[in-house]
Amino acid sequence: MTPKLALLPDTAARRPIGDGHLTEEQFGELIAASAKTTAADTSPAEAHLRSCEQCTAELASLRECLTLFREASTAYADSELRRIPQVTLPARRPMLFPVIAPAYWLAAAAIFLAALLPMQTLLRHKVQPAQAVAASAPSASVGSESDEALLDDVTREESASVPAPMQALADPATSASSTSTGIETSTQTSDQRKD
Amino acid sequence: MVPEDVQTFSSTSLTLGAEPRATPLDDLESVVALYQSRVFRFLLAQLRDRDAAETLTQETFLRAWSARATFREDCSVSTWLIRIALNLARDHTRTGRFRFWKRISANAVDVADVAASVPDREGSAEAHLIAQEQVQRIWETVDGLSDRQRTVFLLRFLEEMEIPEIAHVTGLPLGTVKSHLYRALNVIRTRHNPQSQEGL
Repeated sequence: MTPKLALLPDTAARRPIGDGHLTEEQFGELIAASAKTTAADTSPAEAHLRSCEQCTAELASLRECLTLFREASTAYADSELRRIPQVTLPARRPMLFPVIAPAYWLAAAAIFLAALLPMQTLLRHKVQPAQAVAASAPSASVGSESDEALLDDVTREESASVPAPMQALADPATSASSTSTGIETSTQTSDQRKD
Repeated sequence: MVPEDVQTFSSTSLTLGAEPRATPLDDLESVVALYQSRVFRFLLAQLRDRDAAETLTQETFLRAWSARATFREDCSVSTWLIRIALNLARDHTRTGRFRFWKRISANAVDVADVAASVPDREGSAEAHLIAQEQVQRIWETVDGLSDRQRTVFLLRFLEEMEIPEIAHVTGLPLGTVKSHLYRALNVIRTRHNPQSQEGL
C-alpha cells in the first residue's frame, strides 16, 4: 500500500497541529491507541477526525509508516538472526538398547581381557627361555668346575707318578710302609746304599 | 528458529537438593524458540549493532534461565525477557567502550539494509521506493531520540507493548511513559512531514 502522506496536497500538509486540529498529545494518543484504549480516552480526538480530512489522512499516513517500520525491522532482524551461526550443543543420540547399557561395558571388558591374555602368554613364552638359560647357567658352571677339578686331579696324579731325575725309585714292596714313619724310611734307604 | 538438535537443559539435571518450583522458563529450548527473534529484534533496534545484539540476546536467556526461580509470573515471559534485555542494553551502552566501538564498528546496522527489507506489496515500484525512504527516515529519526524516548517508542511500535506493560518494563510511571512516547512521536511526525510543523 502506498503511504498516503506522499500523496497529500501541500496545502493540507502545511496546516499546523493544534490550531483547530489535533494537539500533539491527542495525536500521540491516537497513534499509540490500541484496542484496549477506551473510547472515552480519544472521544474528542475521534470527533475531530470525523470532521477533519487532513488530520485523518496524516494519522493514517503515520500509522502506515509505523507499520512499515515494524515490518521492515522485523524482516531485517530475522534475516540477520539467520545469518548468525547458531551455537548448538549436539543432542545426545538415543541408545538403541538402553536397558542393556551395562552389557556394553561387560563386552568391552571381555574384549580387553581377551586381548590381554594372549599378550600375557606371549610374554611368558618370551621370558621362559631366558629363565631357562639363567637356570641352566649355574649348573653348567658347576659342571665345568668339576671337570676342571677332575682334570687337575689327573694332571696332579700323573705328575706325581713321574719321579724327579735324581730321586731314588721307591720300592714298590716297601712303599706301602714307607709312609709309616720318617725314621724307618731313612734307615731303609741307607741300607740299600750299603747293598 | 532453533535447530532441533539444540540440547535442552532440564532443570532436574542441573539442580541439587530440593526440587525447585516449576517455571515456564524450565524448558529453555521452547523459550528460546519462541522469543529469540523478538529479543534480538529489540536489541538490534536499540543498539544498532549486530554483534552486541547477538551477545546480549544470548546473555538475556542465560540470565533468565539462571534467575528463573525469581520469576513470579506477574507478567508474561516475553515482558520479563524484554525487561532483562533492556537492563543489559542499558548497562552495555553506559560504557565508554560501547560508544567508542559504535563510531567505528563495521557491525553497525546499515539503515539502507533495513529499508531494503520493506516487504514488497502489490503496488508500483515508485510506491515501494517511497515506503523504503520513509522507513529509512524513521530509523534515522529514532536513532536521534533520547534513550528513554527511543526505548518507549520501540517497545510500543516495534514490540507492540501496551503502555502499562511498557511502564512495567521500564520502571517508569504511566504518565512519564506517555510523555516520552508522545514526544518521540512528535519528533517522528515532524521529520516524516516537515510541513506539519511550519506554522508552530
